[in-house]
Amino acid sequence: MEMSTHQQSFWNKYIFSTDHKVIGMQYSIMGIIMAGVGGFLAYIFRYNLAYPGQSIPLFGHLAPLQYNAFVTCHGMIMVFWVGMPILLSGLGNLLIPIMIGTDDMAFPTVNMLSFWIFFVSALVLLTSFFVPGGAFGGGWTMYPPFSAGGYLNRNPDFFKALFSGTSLMILAVALEFVAMLMGGINFVVTTINKRAKGMTAFRMPIVVWFLNIASLIFMFSVGPLVAGAFMLLLDNVVGTGFYDPNRGGDPILWEHLFWFFGHPEVYVLLLPALGVLAEILPVFARKPLFAYKPIIYLALVSAVLSVLVWAHHQFVSGIDPRMATFFSIGTILISIPFAGIFLSFMATLWGGSIRMTVPMMWAIGFIALFLIGGLTGLFLGSNTFDIYAHDTYFVVTHFHYTLFPDVFFGFFAAVYFWFPKFTGKTLNAALGKLHFWCTFFFFNGTWFLLFFNGLHGQHRRINDYSSFSLINMEPYMTFEKISTICAILLILSQFIFLYNLFTSLAKTKNPELTKNPWHSATLEWTADSPPPHGNFKVYPEVYRGPYEYSVPGEVDDCYAQNVPGPSFENNENL
Amino acid sequence: METAINIPLREKKVVSDGVIGMIFVLATEAMFFSGLISAFVINRAGAMVWPPADQPRLPIEVTAVNTLVLLASAVTLFLFGRQVKNNRKSNTLLITTIILGLTFLTVQGTEWVKLIGYGLTAHSSLFGAFFYTLIGVHGLHVIAGLLVLFYLAASLTKTISLEALRNKVAACSMYWYFVVAVWPVLYILVYLQ
Repeated sequence: MEMSTHQQSFWNKYIFSTDHKVIGMQYSIMGIIMAGVGGFLAYIFRYNLAYPGQSIPLFGHLAPLQYNAFVTCHGMIMVFWVGMPILLSGLGNLLIPIMIGTDDMAFPTVNMLSFWIFFVSALVLLTSFFVPGGAFGGGWTMYPPFSAGGYLNRNPDFFKALFSGTSLMILAVALEFVAMLMGGINFVVTTINKRAKGMTAFRMPIVVWFLNIASLIFMFSVGPLVAGAFMLLLDNVVGTGFYDPNRGGDPILWEHLFWFFGHPEVYVLLLPALGVLAEILPVFARKPLFAYKPIIYLALVSAVLSVLVWAHHQFVSGIDPRMATFFSIGTILISIPFAGIFLSFMATLWGGSIRMTVPMMWAIGFIALFLIGGLTGLFLGSNTFDIYAHDTYFVVTHFHYTLFPDVFFGFFAAVYFWFPKFTGKTLNAALGKLHFWCTFFFFNGTWFLLFFNGLHGQHRRINDYSSFSLINMEPYMTFEKISTICAILLILSQFIFLYNLFTSLAKTKNPELTKNPWHSATLEWTADSPPPHGNFKVYPEVYRGPYEYSVPGEVDDCYAQNVPGPSFENNENL
Repeated sequence: METAINIPLREKKVVSDGVIGMIFVLATEAMFFSGLISAFVINRAGAMVWPPADQPRLPIEVTAVNTLVLLASAVTLFLFGRQVKNNRKSNTLLITTIILGLTFLTVQGTEWVKLIGYGLTAHSSLFGAFFYTLIGVHGLHVIAGLLVLFYLAASLTKTISLEALRNKVAACSMYWYFVVAVWPVLYILVYLQ
């Protein structure tokens, strides 16, 4: 009997858990596993680009159609099965309830379902590699005609079409969205209704704000894409012809519906990572966050602008030039709120007593790299330049310079920062620094030179230029080879992290050392390490804002949010 | 087992969790329908002839009556909500709502069978494709709404506090009101072009 109750408790504790922390870790672990899949795909086609036609170690020969499928699935996986789970769902689940001082999410069972639907969606996507015809290979944006059965099939075989790579990818994305919606609604309701006493809206940590704004952007923009994806699925399995111009349909319609979601999605990914920076920078600069309230307003402005800029992805799709001008202006406008947020991060560092810990290095590395990504985004936002650079490696490099720092640097900053709190164990700092420098160096090695290849017109969807006898690719192959070698080393550097992770997890728990190792002021650090189910022994009451650092005479140099008394920084008036 | 009760101190709840959650579900749903409807409107505006000459016409009159049936179901659900507010736990009006919803679905179904018989299918023309997609998606929402109402009827038989029941009724009714409110928009756009 005892055996069976023990079994039960294992399943309830680690597998079908309703505890927000366990669900957050499940999401993060799933994200890391999928990042392994996405990284392996990247290795394969990166190798093929530098050494076209050669056999690839650990894989073999890569067929052109496989190349397309791998590039497509790499993009899909990295955005929807890595970025979304680790940044939005992982961080949101781990941080929101404990940072606002409550025991769990508003709907714990829905939360658990959310993860398991996400899990199924990942399985559906991976299954699509093994169906006849292989995974979908028409680009992660899934533009028709490639994604709509090539317009050939007016009366498709329903089941055959349903179990094709295209349909499975649409279904996987749809399931993933259901999971993220369930999570997002949970975040917003929890934040509105379950805050600790005294935790007013303007005393919440920035990361909680940003996770909520990201969830709201996601909920607002995802509907039209689901509508478009539903129509795309019908085109495939029923033969409706919504996107078939021969039958009065319109392929550009898909582009609008896709990018109405697709562009806000990058801010859904960016905001949680910026929130992580807003938590880390004040702690290691020992200074209050500069301009707390303006940052929130700027994020809200960017949220509104984010749904008004989508057609900048369609400058060469034959849209009206007047419309292109409107979307160019909108795109360049949206850099203003983000420049403001970055300025306030700089101002937070200014004059602080900086501590170069591992999370701080990742945070500053993020800012440095994202700056390059953001500035090249200004070039591409202008339609006059974009028409020249569209679909070249300049674009690919631009979005890797935004998304890689965002997803990975943001994630690693968060891991190195909160790992002690949520596991009760410590990561090795020396290995963490080695991991940072390797990742930083090899990431730049992989991508920076490709800006030049892109400006020379290297197209993002061509796997082997040797078929184009009039194009001399020789001058650019050196950069391709450097990039591939660095990409392999970049992937190998991540094993430093995995080694660090597993050896640290094997240590014994040290609740004293990990309770508040960084002398941080937000509520999660007042709970035990690791926090038990329900988070707090005594539920906190909040008296002040989240960033009261450099308090004269205080032992910890800061006031935790639950310390009674008048506010030191008077954050409320900022 | 732990016996000490340690309830979190909270900021006061103004609106229940269920209602706020439902607001965001419905906001997402509204954007989903706007996506479908805008696709339909743009496509219709670009077409030379709408509806295509060789396609059957839609049953305007029967559907008008059916629209009234669906609107009536919202009224009965509203009256049911008022009863619950006044502490009366009678489920007659709720069952009336469910029956009206089922009637709506049945009439829609029979009309679909007729239309398919006349030659309007999802791949006969874009007109048919949009008709079955928009109306079918709404039909799926009616089915989901009925499941929500069944869940509500089931929770009436359980012993829960009156406040919890009121919150449940409020959240569940919102979903049904949404399903009813979308319908006239679709009727005007799709049937009365």
